[in-house]
Amino acid sequence: MKRRELLRTGAALSGALTLAGCSSLIETRAAGVPPVPENRPDGVYYPSHVEGMEMVGTASSGDYTVGLMYSYPHRFWNVNGESVALTEIDADDAVHLMASVWDTDTEAILPDTGLSAEIYREGSLVSQEAIYPMLSQPMGFHYGANFGLDGEGEYTVRLSVGAMSTRRTGAFEGRFADPTTVEIPFEYSEAAKEDIAFRTLDDQVSTPGAVDAMAMTALPDAVAPAESALPGRVLGSATSDDARLIVTALDTPPAGVDGDGTYLAVSARTRYNRMVIPAMGLSGRLARNGEAVYDGAFERTLDPDLGYHYGAVVDDIASGDELTLSVTVQPQTARHEGYETAFGGLMGGMPDVTVAVP
Amino acid sequence: MSIDGDRSRRAVLKAAVALGGASALSACLDRTDDDPVPTGDPAAKPPRQHAWREYVRHDDHGNSRLPAHQVLLYLDFDVGGPPTDADRDALAASLAALDRAYAWRHEGLLHSIAYSPAYFDRFDTPLPEGIDLPEPTALSPFESPTFDRQDAVLHLASDRADAVLEADRALRGEREAANGVSVPSLTEVATVDSRRTGFVGAGLPAANQDAAGIPDSKPVPEASPLFMGFEAGFRGNQATEDYVTVDTGPFAGGTTKVIANLRQRLADWYDEQSHEERVMEMFSPGHAENGLVEGVGDNLGSSSGIDRFVDSVVDDAREHGRVGHAQKAARANRDADGNVRLLRRHFESTDDIGSDQRVASLHFPSLQRRISAFEAVRRAMNGTDLTEATPAIRQRVNNGILEYIFVRRRGNFLVPPRRHRVLPTPRPE
Ligand code: HEM
Repeated sequence: MKRRELLRTGAALSGALTLAGCSSLIETRAAGVPPVPENRPDGVYYPSHVEGMEMVGTASSGDYTVGLMYSYPHRFWNVNGESVALTEIDADDAVHLMASVWDTDTEAILPDTGLSAEIYREGSLVSQEAIYPMLSQPMGFHYGANFGLDGEGEYTVRLSVGAMSTRRTGAFEGRFADPTTVEIPFEYSEAAKEDIAFRTLDDQVSTPGAVDAMAMTALPDAVAPAESALPGRVLGSATSDDARLIVTALDTPPAGVDGDGTYLAVSARTRYNRMVIPAMGLSGRLARNGEAVYDGAFERTLDPDLGYHYGAVVDDIASGDELTLSVTVQPQTARHEGYETAFGGLMGGMPDVTVAVP
Repeated sequence: MSIDGDRSRRAVLKAAVALGGASALSACLDRTDDDPVPTGDPAAKPPRQHAWREYVRHDDHGNSRLPAHQVLLYLDFDVGGPPTDADRDALAASLAALDRAYAWRHEGLLHSIAYSPAYFDRFDTPLPEGIDLPEPTALSPFESPTFDRQDAVLHLASDRADAVLEADRALRGEREAANGVSVPSLTEVATVDSRRTGFVGAGLPAANQDAAGIPDSKPVPEASPLFMGFEAGFRGNQATEDYVTVDTGPFAGGTTKVIANLRQRLADWYDEQSHEERVMEMFSPGHAENGLVEGVGDNLGSSSGIDRFVDSVVDDAREHGRVGHAQKAARANRDADGNVRLLRRHFESTDDIGSDQRVASLHFPSLQRRISAFEAVRRAMNGTDLTEATPAIRQRVNNGILEYIFVRRRGNFLVPPRRHRVLPTPRPE
């Protein structure tokens, strides 16, 4: 709820709600955020600034652990289908809340769960939203949104994780199938927020590259397995608009995938930080002597060994086969600055790439 | 009486049902200078408690206009085991008094009492085979509602706020009489565990849009019967009362009722989307492309016209990256002969169950012959298959109206026919 709304509601109920804390809402930080850099390249680039973040807490329930972080309100670009639209910081925004969801047992980050947040202050609802999945250079995949608050003080954030509908394989088969809700207390103070690091970049801004991933002890990283750590035989890799697609072949599909034959898995990660790129539509054509032996979808899949990937079963592969991968839907995650022109994004274009079977 | 005086009286009444506050209520009961509320004849009531259609207003297209003011009283009976004759006499007396106090019509009072699976658990005999009344359950992969497992729910509805409020107060023992008829309080046999209130119809959502959940831009059109800015419940998209009526066994003439309560969060709905995008998400991309919905949708007439867009839902998902709420629900809302399965009677509210806050919400009663029909339609609304077809459709985002509604409560009930409305056994004679 916006502050004005709260004031009105309070008046309507003749003071039934306490209005304490409402006076200290003015945010100064947003004014200091540098403008979106000019001459951005079409691809991952160094953003104008980097904001740190502060851990609020973690909580576990069912299969899931949820971590809640916060920072200054952020601008970001929302992605819906082909559209990429800038969401500016609103004058009422107090914080950018971020959440990560992971498997309590393996600490694997779970994209595609769906997440919504309710924020309460002394039992009163302050806000409730479905939170969007996002990609940022320091964090990679997470859920995030800007929120207005009703001043400094104690809040309760209830985070509801949705069951996954993404295909799960191996030891993940049948897991993450139920929703859950956790509660994390959040003490909000402007002084504490202003202590969060905020750094502008100089010469590097707008040049290709990415700021380093942020290491947080309480938080598993959202990094894809190194090429050498991928199971199966790695056939090769290619880069499309700074999304690196590594193709590996397994002799048999992991449990949970229908069909017999060779399993081709495409692990997608950001060019510099190796952050997992989830929620794409991907299809592939495997050609042998110019004839398609497979032409179809590579399904979004979560596997404990392959990580989040896109997979398809083909009859077999032979040396000289060519696999052409086409991104049919760009990654459906919002983007923080530095990622909004890459992976499709504002300037579009994730060209087809081809990997030859060695 | 001056026009202004009349307007402010109405404003007080609307606020009173919305807030449910005793002080607002007495303020409006002092002003009884309107037309008298028609009294009733117990012998002249229809045999079905859910017979409302013939007794409510209709618009120019023959669509029902549900009673503007409604109250739901969730009841727990004091008796733990099978009810005694004394319990039955007491409840029968309260309901009979309502029958005498009000004509069975929209400017009188429509009411119905319905019983939960938990109520029927107190008997050794199970419900007849043909009655499908499971305990409520979560129906989407992302919700964990609190289940309403009270024994019964009494639903009061009228276009006259003063009628609903007097009946409600008398039933809860806060006054002796309703519309001049002495009404024995329900508190003789039951405790009111939860009291929920609401409103529906053009003007009322706009007048209540100061509630939390609705952005400050005052976006709710005056013409809209609902907070989300569209008409709902077109005749052609609703089951008939006959269709939802149980036709055999001791409960023939009854029906089943699911009542959910959903919180509405409409900031992004209104502030980040155009009318065209809202039409896409509420109806279907085809409705938007063809400009089928003007304003709140009165131009649709007596049907939303959704049937021609049902088969294209997967293609729409791929092409537009968005799918419509009505489009998804309709997939499961037809029987083999093309008849509509659910009779939806939802109304708006500013109740925030469990707090005093004014928060936009929706009470969603739905009538159907079998609860499983509701469950199937509600599951179809999840569009899980569409999230698999394209990542552009997410669990709640671009997926109809799921981003803006948050289920908080759900309860399942059996609405017996009038002849068995008082504390029925599972096999009434
Ligand atoms: C705030 C919440 C909701 C709003 C504003 C809303 C509004 C609408 C509107 C405008 C329509 C199209 C017109 C019509 O046919 O009535 C519709 C259709 C429908 N809605 Fe909802 N709805 C809501 C929640 C729900 C829920 C929770 C269900 C649960 C099952 C549901 C089930 C349906 C069905 C079955 C249809 C008709 C589709 C058909 O033609 O068969 N709605 N709704």
